[in-house]
Amino acid sequence: MGGYSFQVENVQICVIMVGLPARGKSLIAQKIVRYLTWLSIRAKCFNVGNYRRLETAHPTAEFFDVNNSEGERLRKMAAEAAIRDMFRWFDEDLGVVGILDATNTTKSRRSWILELCRKRNVEPMFVESWCDDEDLIMQNIMDVKTTSPDYVGQDPEKAALDFRNRIRNYEKVYETISERDLTYVKLINVGSQVIINRIQSYLESRIVYYLMNLHIKPRCIWLSRHGESAFNLTGKIGGDSDLSARGREYARQLPQLVKMSVGNRPLTVWTSTLKRTQQTAKYLPYRQLTWKALDELDAGQCDGLTYEEIENRYPEDFAARDENKYEYRYPGGESYRDVVVRLEPIIMELERQENIMIVTHQAVLRCIYAYFMNVPQDQSPWMEVPLHTLIKLEPKAYGTEVTRIKADIPAVSTYREKGQSAKIRSK
Amino acid sequence: MRSVMLSLSSDSSPSTSPSPSPSPSSDDRYRAPSPMANVHSSFTSSVSPPGLSTFHADLATSPITGGFESQMHMSQPSFTSQLRTQSVGSKYSRRQSSSVDEDAVHDTLSPTHVSPAQLYSTESGRLFHAGKICIVLVGLPARGKTHLAVSLTRYLRWLGVKTHAFHLGDYRRGHIAPGTEVPDDYFLVNASPSTVILRQRVMAACKADVYRFFEEDRGQVAIYDAVNPTSAGRRVLVKEFNQRGIQTLFIESICDRPEIIEANVRSVKISSPDYIGWDEKEAIRHYLRRISDKIPHYETLDEPEFSYIKLYNAGERILLNNSRVGYLPNRIVFYLMNLHIKAGCVYFARAGKSTEPRPRYKSDPHLSDEGRAYARILTDTLLEHRRSEHSARGADGDNSPERELIVWTSTRRRTIETAAEFEKRGFSCRQRPQLSQMHPGSCDGLSPQELEKQFPGEVELHKKDPYRHRFPRAESYHDLAVRLEPVILEMERIPNDILIVAHVSVLRVLYGYLMACSTFDIPELDFERNEIVEIIPSAYNNKVKRIKIYGVEESETL
Repeated sequence: MGGYSFQVENVQICVIMVGLPARGKSLIAQKIVRYLTWLSIRAKCFNVGNYRRLETAHPTAEFFDVNNSEGERLRKMAAEAAIRDMFRWFDEDLGVVGILDATNTTKSRRSWILELCRKRNVEPMFVESWCDDEDLIMQNIMDVKTTSPDYVGQDPEKAALDFRNRIRNYEKVYETISERDLTYVKLINVGSQVIINRIQSYLESRIVYYLMNLHIKPRCIWLSRHGESAFNLTGKIGGDSDLSARGREYARQLPQLVKMSVGNRPLTVWTSTLKRTQQTAKYLPYRQLTWKALDELDAGQCDGLTYEEIENRYPEDFAARDENKYEYRYPGGESYRDVVVRLEPIIMELERQENIMIVTHQAVLRCIYAYFMNVPQDQSPWMEVPLHTLIKLEPKAYGTEVTRIKADIPAVSTYREKGQSAKIRSK
Repeated sequence: MRSVMLSLSSDSSPSTSPSPSPSPSSDDRYRAPSPMANVHSSFTSSVSPPGLSTFHADLATSPITGGFESQMHMSQPSFTSQLRTQSVGSKYSRRQSSSVDEDAVHDTLSPTHVSPAQLYSTESGRLFHAGKICIVLVGLPARGKTHLAVSLTRYLRWLGVKTHAFHLGDYRRGHIAPGTEVPDDYFLVNASPSTVILRQRVMAACKADVYRFFEEDRGQVAIYDAVNPTSAGRRVLVKEFNQRGIQTLFIESICDRPEIIEANVRSVKISSPDYIGWDEKEAIRHYLRRISDKIPHYETLDEPEFSYIKLYNAGERILLNNSRVGYLPNRIVFYLMNLHIKAGCVYFARAGKSTEPRPRYKSDPHLSDEGRAYARILTDTLLEHRRSEHSARGADGDNSPERELIVWTSTRRRTIETAAEFEKRGFSCRQRPQLSQMHPGSCDGLSPQELEKQFPGEVELHKKDPYRHRFPRAESYHDLAVRLEPVILEMERIPNDILIVAHVSVLRVLYGYLMACSTFDIPELDFERNEIVEIIPSAYNNKVKRIKIYGVEESETL
């Protein structure tokens, strides 16, 4: 069924990470997976370290010494297993972008992978993170690697030291990418210089553009639905109604709630073009921007109806929506997938920005939340996002931390569980 | 087989070329009528018009601080010079296309201009809080700089960044008598005093216009198209721009593949009368020798403190240095990754008639019998047209195979069913939700009378700003432009020919991008159901052809 908006026909791409340990490769790999998965492009990360740990759970730095032939053999075996699984995934699960997360620091290792890709008709694209900024490396070592499974239960000081030695072993053989016939992007010192070579497809250019927009400065994103609206009170969906009395109360309390969480950090507020988000953000003392892309999912013919009316008038549609809520497109309206397509520029802009607060609608908020939290498509449309609640997202290296702050203002529940009849709820 | 009549856009009936309604806020000097349309309508084919015979590469200022310029569009000056009839001092603000069938990418923009896909505006009128930026091009002649300047102008304007390209070559030509050439030492480091004075005057005139664009017209990005071959010259520019609060981003175009340079020379340099009767290879050699004689000094960009982009072999490799300047350089690189010296053309066609006389958005009707007949005739007409174009190229000695055709539709039934005939015949058809028509919101299915009755105030508002106004719950053209951006980039990237079957509202916006139409023109553009509109890309400006579809009624209410 329609909606293959970003799908590129018959292309399978293997993104091969390149770089010394502690250069943010795993972070980059995970971000790519998150971004593409969110766009419904099948993407998966294959971390060679995880395969290696099956055999060697807690190796010391010597394991990574080039002269340690047993270590070398085990590491190559792990890489083979990861690649084998990736190709199986390409074939059986119709994967589109597979990411091989490993150091891949030598030319011979890269040409070996290249050969394997060419045999399978998979487009290889190398992503190298190159960094000689000592502060950045140290920060990465402390943040990420002391929590690595390789060092579980060990003294962090010792772990950091061993990890530095491991990096030295890699440095001895490291060859940066310079092969002119390869498709690659090289990110030097977190984007202070970027080299892009032989981009072959639109999808690859999107990945590169996405990588260029990432930054690693600490920042937070706050999300809120609009306050309770007149339509919420009557159970109608869609529309462009005003806030209810309780909704207006939420709008009045919101500045204080935001201030408590944001403190003195600079903040920009984004709203949709609909009255209920603008009325909600009315008292927030920050710069505000309005985006049409943040408008609520368009319910088409069902706009302005209650769930009960929809169930009565369009019983088949009502059931079909429960069956596959992500793909279901209201007659003459939008599906969740359609919403994700139009939100894509918003996500790109969010990656570039620092502290942003977004006041939007249930479905749109679910989609944005799904991006940051890796919520799968069969779950994200069913996620419960109550009214009068401020959500704080704090992106960290390996995931995003969530805090929910409830305003003490009652509101109706707009949530309907899967399979639940609207008729029962309305009683 | 049905015969296909070709007509160049400006030959077609006046009804297909609505004159743009002037902006209430626009300044007269930006709306001056130009003789452009007349010159244009005398073309009989899409090939370049005859050009001037001068050698277009000069060094425009003092020996050390040389801002060189190069001229890609040798074929253009004959009409450019007719068109640009004002005094020598200023080249800027001369042109305003009088017809939407001309590529307006070289037009000047009024201070209050609002672009098709502008997401939001800031108090300063400058987007993304990126301030004033001068993109300085660097590169020898025949490296595709003008194509780069023109394409970037088109894209950045579309995004809402007020952009103008300043080609130093235009200024040089304004400073010498028509028909004469620049002095022989014009490009040399140790030029005579009189030549140095000439170069300085040329460059000063160009820079004055750049500053006018920033200061009077709230411009955001100026593209300075010149050779700029010396590091010292570039440093002087950066310093001067800095003093005026303008950031500099360099883009160097480098070619180390002779075949790319030769192709550039072949397509835009030696089509001039200078080389009539020459053997092609000989002409290319002669041209390149003249460049190396005239511009013996060239230093590639290597200043680590500068923000720059190096573009190797038309995008094969891109190096971005010091990119922390912000959003715009990233955006430009994204665009450059997809930019090709596009060979493929784009065809626009409407969907066939549906089973509903006034198709409602929400009902998403199927094609009627008439609509299905249209789908077949459309397919026959386009394929026949492509065959005849291809054999015409063959007769001219171009033996390249026919380019592949792919078809894009929206996810709406009428467009999918209109393309079904292509799919049957083995062409690849792809559905894209971004290509769905402008959402009519609460006005779905209303006749103009009903609209007037139900939303009297809204109709008035709509008339005032048809591009940005949204009817209740509806999308505006602007909303449409924003959601079409991925389609546009992919359109730039794909080397194939593309047929886009979509609703008029979508075709208007895509056409608006390719032909650089203003937001006043876009809502007015006409697409008849009995025509296929073909856009033929070229380095300096895109051209339009209309292919008649016989056996189909002219048009009905849109």
